[in-house]
Amino acid sequence: MTFLNAILLAGAAAFLIPLLIHLLNKRKVQTVHWGAMHLLQEVMRQRKRKWKIEQWLLLAVRIAIPIVLALCLARPVLTALRAFGLGKTSLVMLLDDSFSMRAPSAGGSPADRARQDMTRMLETQPKGSDVQIVLAGGNAHKLLDQSTTALDLLPKQLADVPTQSGPVKVNDALQAAAASLSKATSGARELAIVSDFQASDWQSVADGAALPALEALLKQDPKPQVTFYRLASDLTENLSIASADLSALVVAEQQPVGLRVRIQNHGKRPWQDVAVHLEADGARLRTSRVSLPPEGEAIIAFTHAFDKVGDHSLAVRLEGDSFPDDNAFYSVVQVRNQLNVLLVDGDPSDDPLGGAADFLELALTPYQSASATLKDLIRTTKVDARRLRDEDMKGKEVIILADSERYRGNLQSLEKFVKAGGGLIVFAGPHADINWYDRDFYRKGEGLFPVSIKGLQHATSAAPARILQQRLTHPATIYFNDARGGRLQEAEFQTWWEFEASPNAKPIMQLDRGTPLFVEKTHERGRVIAAATSADAEWSNLPLQPFFVPLMQRLVTYLATQSTISAWDQVGAPLRMVMGKERVGVEYTLRDPTGQTETIKVKADGDKSLLESKPIAAPGIYKLTQGAETRLLAYNLDPTESNLAPLAADKVQELAKRHDASFVDSIDGWQKLDRTRRHGSELWQPFLMGLLGLLFLEVLLQQRIAKG
Amino acid sequence: MAALSDILHSEDITSLQHLQLFARTVVEGFTTGHHASPHKGFSVEFRQHRPYVQGDDLRRLDWKIFGRADRFYIREYDEETNLRATIVLDASGSMAYRGTKGVQKFDYARKLAAAMSYLLVSQQDAVGLITFDTKVREFIPNRTRITHLHHLLETMVKTTPGKETTLAPVLESLAQRLKRRGLVILISDFFDDPAAILKSIGVLRKQGHEIIAIQLWDRDELEFPFGQWSRFENLEKDDDFLLLDPATVRQRYLEVRQAFQDQLTEGFRKHQVDFLPLPTDEPHSAALRSYLALRMR
Repeated sequence: MTFLNAILLAGAAAFLIPLLIHLLNKRKVQTVHWGAMHLLQEVMRQRKRKWKIEQWLLLAVRIAIPIVLALCLARPVLTALRAFGLGKTSLVMLLDDSFSMRAPSAGGSPADRARQDMTRMLETQPKGSDVQIVLAGGNAHKLLDQSTTALDLLPKQLADVPTQSGPVKVNDALQAAAASLSKATSGARELAIVSDFQASDWQSVADGAALPALEALLKQDPKPQVTFYRLASDLTENLSIASADLSALVVAEQQPVGLRVRIQNHGKRPWQDVAVHLEADGARLRTSRVSLPPEGEAIIAFTHAFDKVGDHSLAVRLEGDSFPDDNAFYSVVQVRNQLNVLLVDGDPSDDPLGGAADFLELALTPYQSASATLKDLIRTTKVDARRLRDEDMKGKEVIILADSERYRGNLQSLEKFVKAGGGLIVFAGPHADINWYDRDFYRKGEGLFPVSIKGLQHATSAAPARILQQRLTHPATIYFNDARGGRLQEAEFQTWWEFEASPNAKPIMQLDRGTPLFVEKTHERGRVIAAATSADAEWSNLPLQPFFVPLMQRLVTYLATQSTISAWDQVGAPLRMVMGKERVGVEYTLRDPTGQTETIKVKADGDKSLLESKPIAAPGIYKLTQGAETRLLAYNLDPTESNLAPLAADKVQELAKRHDASFVDSIDGWQKLDRTRRHGSELWQPFLMGLLGLLFLEVLLQQRIAKG
Repeated sequence: MAALSDILHSEDITSLQHLQLFARTVVEGFTTGHHASPHKGFSVEFRQHRPYVQGDDLRRLDWKIFGRADRFYIREYDEETNLRATIVLDASGSMAYRGTKGVQKFDYARKLAAAMSYLLVSQQDAVGLITFDTKVREFIPNRTRITHLHHLLETMVKTTPGKETTLAPVLESLAQRLKRRGLVILISDFFDDPAAILKSIGVLRKQGHEIIAIQLWDRDELEFPFGQWSRFENLEKDDDFLLLDPATVRQRYLEVRQAFQDQLTEGFRKHQVDFLPLPTDEPHSAALRSYLALRMR
């Protein structure tokens, strides 16, 4: 035990005062010649033994009072808890920089409070301590390359943390923190998890899910002290744009693009007439109004046609709630003159829809086929597979082989076309030679065909194969997750190629027989998609389904725009673009929504080059320019962060307890805990309680003795 | 011989003279007829004749009746006596207590006894005196003469408080000494075993004595006002003391004293003894007034 005000211990000498009074009282005795002795003797007879004990007890209490008072004033500290002495510590702060930390609150947003509190935490670190900050949102990463002892510089760096990342992946974040802690130089290791403990991130852990990273961290030697620092917002009402789907990734001039927006009410109150604005290229075009039930959602659809070729931004913005950061959604629409597609028909026919590629032609150019005035983005050229020449590939962005017995053209030219960034779709069919496809086109993984073919599979018409109902993640098929995109399960398949599973080929859609319907493989800058069914109605009724049109359009536009960027990405990750080697050293300028620019130099990356920016922090439209070339990029926040409901404090406390960690929710709590850890536990409070108890006992004894 | 003024202040004597005027009308025996004696015996007031029975004193035979009627009759008279009062004065050690106000209990008791003797003698009553501590120290039989008063006062002046109080045997011996019924005035602090005292009182009462018990308390004994540590030395016994912090026992002392007092009060009440507790800071005249008030009932 040590004392913070040890000098005040001298006050304990005051115990002599009651003792001296007691002794002096006994010495300064007056003599009374007393008559009523029998009465006094009766008094003493009744309580002589008890009285003596009580007298001594009273004296002991009176002596103890100044001693305990002096101990209390000297602020004793129990040092049994001091594990590592008063020296420096290695502190890792796991800061939740996810977007929910920005939610406004009475005392400032959790993010602001976290910055302030962390600055004060840094101020109280012993000299020589080293600190690392791990940003937990999205893909957890360290703020500094290595931990620093220059703690006075950290507040500035903390102030620059944008706190707009996606959800905290708790285990990943803890793993990053554990990695930092394991490199700690000092024996005293501490981990402070500073977060709003948003239920969407932490609920599963609170419900008992394991946290292997934390368990491993706690096994480190010496064992780190872990603190759960909760800074939650008191905001419960929030509106957000949960998702927005574009009807097409690439459109033609004047071709309308649809935008379906899902607006979510995370609060308990209903909202009426919430204004939702559509903005194109930064200009507000129109406004719709929606009403939202408590904890419900509403869907609103917009369409817009751009009249100029190039990249255009499209944004949806709603207004009304007190947390506007998640009220916008940004995307980029590419407007092209046209996409040129070569249809290679393996079984051409003069009959309407009799050829193997006829349905495809119809699906890719619906306006042209319907003789409508509207313009198709895609322009198709159909050739007979037997008469295919290399020249046919010129100017084409995508080639589709439909039921070709084999590739009659120059296979090397086709490979070159794909590797240069072209797209290839290969449909099966009754005329296709499986052996050739497997042997020469797949070529044990060396060829263009993505997978090996096991053989033909059949199903009866009574029990046809169907598309497996599952959440689709491929960019070309996300649109069909919503039933309004088309009922995929209505397509029936009687015959299909059974593909071998391959690690290099990514399934896009599966049949319910456990085999892929579409698989994709990348070949340098280009991609190949293999379809297990035919493009005509020979093996299935797929071409007869309404969703066949958007599906084919999306697959084609996906392949045609594969070397460009997607319509939008989530903030948190850096912009990465793979380019040809010739681009090494070229400088690009990335301009963020606030107008600040970052110059990025293309670096060599093997036989390619790579453009990589710093992690994108804020949502909005970014502009990437190099010379006359300009591309737009859209970044959005992760919508799961918009549900602000935090874990209740007692749940976090329970969680902390379960993981042998401490819990605090204020800087005072932290400082108290920190003092306890570094200096031991202050004991003045129990001493004060003891003092009060002694005073009470003194009065009690006095009264008891007086009563006899 | 000590003069009355040696032990009584002149104002006390004056006060007594005033009281005497009032006392004359109430004290038994002072005015014949007012307090007709309930006891029958020799006197001048004839009451009745009754037939002689064996054992009757032959001197009381009415020979005239025998001459006339040839029968033996005894003449009975109403006794017409003065009051026979015996003052029993406690001279034990505890009576030597001199309180913080400087009044000694025995001194106060002596003055009170003197005043009462004076009152009684001046009313032509026969007054006796007994002083005692563990045993009877002085016994002066009842007389009515004024010179007797001087003898009483002389004895009182000579007496100083002595040993322990043992009232019970003293009272028992008193019962043997007082052959004729009368008034016994006990002036004491009664610092003895109450049960023993009351038993002896009972014996006296059975003999027909009327008893007035005057209990003297010093104010210190009533309130126990001591503050600092004190050595309480027993006035009645050498080498007997208690060293204690009075403040710590005061409450309990008061309770024990009250219990003692209650026991005496109740016991005296049962024996139909007039009990008069008196603090020594009350003037003697007030004490006498209380005494006379008791006698008027």
